[in-house]
Amino acid sequence: MLSPERRTSMAERRPSFANFSGNSNHIDTLMVPHLAGIEDPLPETTPEKVDVLIAGTGLVESVLAAALAWQGSTVLHVDTNDYYGDSAATLTVDQIKNWVNRVNNNDIISYNNAKLYLSTSIGPSCKYMSKDFGIDLSPKILFAKSDLLSILVKSRVHQYLEFQSLSTFHTYENDSFEKLTNTKQDIFTDQNLSLMTKRNLMKFLKFVLNWEEMPEIWQPYADKSITQFLFEKFKLEKPQVFELVFSIGLCCSVDTKVPLALHRIRRYLISYDVYGPFPVLYSKYGGAGEVSQGFCRSAAVAGATYKLNEKLYSYNPTTQVATFTDGSKVTVTEKIIMSPTQAPEGNQHIPDQKYEVNRMVCLVEKDCKEWFSEDESAAVVVFPPGSLKSGNKHVVQTLILGAGSECCPQNTSIWYLSTIESGVRAEMDLDAALEALEVSIVRESSSDITDNNDIVKIDEDGRPIINSVRLGQSFKEYIPRESVQHLMKLSYTQYTSTPPFDVVNPALFDNDELNNRANSVNKFIPNASDNGIIYTAMPSSEISYDEVVTAAKVLYEKIVGSDDDFFDVDFEDEDNDTVPQGASVNGTISYENAIDDDDDEDVDMGIRGDDSNEFVGQMEI
Amino acid sequence: MSNPITSIKLVLLGEAAVGKSSIVLRFVSNDFSENKEPTIGAAFLTQRVNINDHTVKFEIWDTAGQERFASLAPMYYRNAQAALVVYDITKPQSFIKARHWVKELHEQANKNIIIALVGNKVDILEDNEDERKVSREEAEKLAEEEDLLFFETSAKTGTNISEVFLGIGEKIPLKGPEDEHTNGGLNVTEDQRVNLANTANASENASACSC
Repeated sequence: MLSPERRTSMAERRPSFANFSGNSNHIDTLMVPHLAGIEDPLPETTPEKVDVLIAGTGLVESVLAAALAWQGSTVLHVDTNDYYGDSAATLTVDQIKNWVNRVNNNDIISYNNAKLYLSTSIGPSCKYMSKDFGIDLSPKILFAKSDLLSILVKSRVHQYLEFQSLSTFHTYENDSFEKLTNTKQDIFTDQNLSLMTKRNLMKFLKFVLNWEEMPEIWQPYADKSITQFLFEKFKLEKPQVFELVFSIGLCCSVDTKVPLALHRIRRYLISYDVYGPFPVLYSKYGGAGEVSQGFCRSAAVAGATYKLNEKLYSYNPTTQVATFTDGSKVTVTEKIIMSPTQAPEGNQHIPDQKYEVNRMVCLVEKDCKEWFSEDESAAVVVFPPGSLKSGNKHVVQTLILGAGSECCPQNTSIWYLSTIESGVRAEMDLDAALEALEVSIVRESSSDITDNNDIVKIDEDGRPIINSVRLGQSFKEYIPRESVQHLMKLSYTQYTSTPPFDVVNPALFDNDELNNRANSVNKFIPNASDNGIIYTAMPSSEISYDEVVTAAKVLYEKIVGSDDDFFDVDFEDEDNDTVPQGASVNGTISYENAIDDDDDEDVDMGIRGDDSNEFVGQMEI
Repeated sequence: MSNPITSIKLVLLGEAAVGKSSIVLRFVSNDFSENKEPTIGAAFLTQRVNINDHTVKFEIWDTAGQERFASLAPMYYRNAQAALVVYDITKPQSFIKARHWVKELHEQANKNIIIALVGNKVDILEDNEDERKVSREEAEKLAEEEDLLFFETSAKTGTNISEVFLGIGEKIPLKGPEDEHTNGGLNVTEDQRVNLANTANASENASACSC
């Protein structure tokens, strides 16, 4: 679908900077709007009419809001919660308590079965404060070469955030953690690999970087599983196959199809060494929740209006009027985009959410630095199928964050576990993985006898028990083992319409037929409160941010007509700590010209790909 | 002749129409200094100031309107080293709101944030001293109680504007930026931070394999 008429761009609509700078030379060249609120006083009420109403400040919605606002659309962005992030939020412990209660009261669509254990050492005037912790509902890692990263740089949202490296990927096998052999140096120096294995591994690594150009190698296996392909075609052995598929590829099962798995393995390899000797990054202070906030701020700077604690009551597609539960109204000329978590009462259009993601989050009183590389505060631990005593069919993926992430205090860590397994089996797998993590960290760390008698009591059998309060449904069999002290243990089930490790299906958004009046009858459900609303997909089990930009672009195209100008903004703030020119006057202020034309700061993510290819050439043995 | 540069994240707070933006524009705009213009981009306004032998780079975060419906994100306060809490000396209500923002900053922001309380629009008094509705004494009392810098300014005439930023710049410990990330005794060094706008040099990797 092509756009019949382009909406005027941001710069065309608001060539405002020239007015206050008094420099009319700028009017032709400036492509950047003023900071919202700097130029004109903002109205004290929400707008009466907007192009787009977005409900929910999750990742996809926030990226979309920023893209639309910079493109020139007027956007009203609301959230029923009193915090940003929605399904991607980063929450304090108190907010988690509240969230668990709401999930168990069925107040939040798309989640259920939330269980929370909370130690008494978190609370007012306790050892730890609720706000010392930032707990992500959808923990994510950012590949150094990925579409979201490009958008973060292009939109300047990266300047609101701080990123840290993550280089350690452990594969759990035979009751121990194997650190990943992911560089060619590692491969060459690894004493455990036979010469033949090294040769085969190098052969595969060379192939996978350009796999799409070599269909003759993988096409015969296109419908087969990646494990079969690696065993048969590249004669790799199980430890290497599992590392490649589950730790490097972060695939979910042995049945993952060859093209998808190759794509995912390549994603890791081309991300390696883009910013340094690591493939992924994560944002400090919270993951997806911080990224969402960054894009929301960007949207606000471009003029979008923000209102938290706002819930839609109903939308009338005929009059285009959206009514909120507080009685306020807005006319929406184009589209309403809404997360399923934000749906009004009486909704009948939420797409089927048949895929489960089961998550567990533990706050642990242990720094876990044994698992991190030097100077890092995060690690990924993957439990491949069959590696746990529960006989897990699917992978359990674990993200470990230490205090350096500023998501938790010193000497504590956050463990995020997740699986696409469902029901009781999921609980068994997550419990087994948790136990394996605990055993491992107890074994690997020494001197962790806890000395706080107020918190830990010893029962008749000599086992320590945390003096605890329980919330929601409790962990009935929960007994802390040895010296791993849990400050919090949370588990929940999340539902999504996106298949595991896949990206959103664009067809999902096609239930919006109201723009095409001829078809509207097909979709119009009398008395439904959400006729004409386009629902986004809940986050999938994907641990990377990879689905986010795809989904936001599909929605953007539906609204604007084309995604050609998705974040097509030239900013002039290229100032990047260049040495200021001009004399300084002691004791007084002198102003430096902060505008620089250093275009060289622009990052061309494509360049690194070429380097990766070179890298391949040098891998010949 | 490269001066050490200290980056300071400064956030703006205050009731609507008290002149927050005018103060900043006065500070960064070219009629405030002869040949300079502010950098305006998606992220924030930046302005460099030389104080003695040191360059202070102010990264000025506007609320972008997100405060209007009590929707400021935690990100806004995060790691802010300085804040301007602005009120209008002719509007008592705006001073009440300023108290609220000071309280909010003490709860949400870094413990050692430097807050400047700024009573704006003193130019109005030139015509009629009766227009003053917030006494200097009252504001000074608040500043003393809460350990704030205090200025009365006029964005219109430029009175005291540079003093606000110079005052903040002088109070900030002018060391390396790594000191700004201390939090509850935790010291995270800058080298842990990855700048997404700078891709690394891959030559190290290429040279590592000599076979």
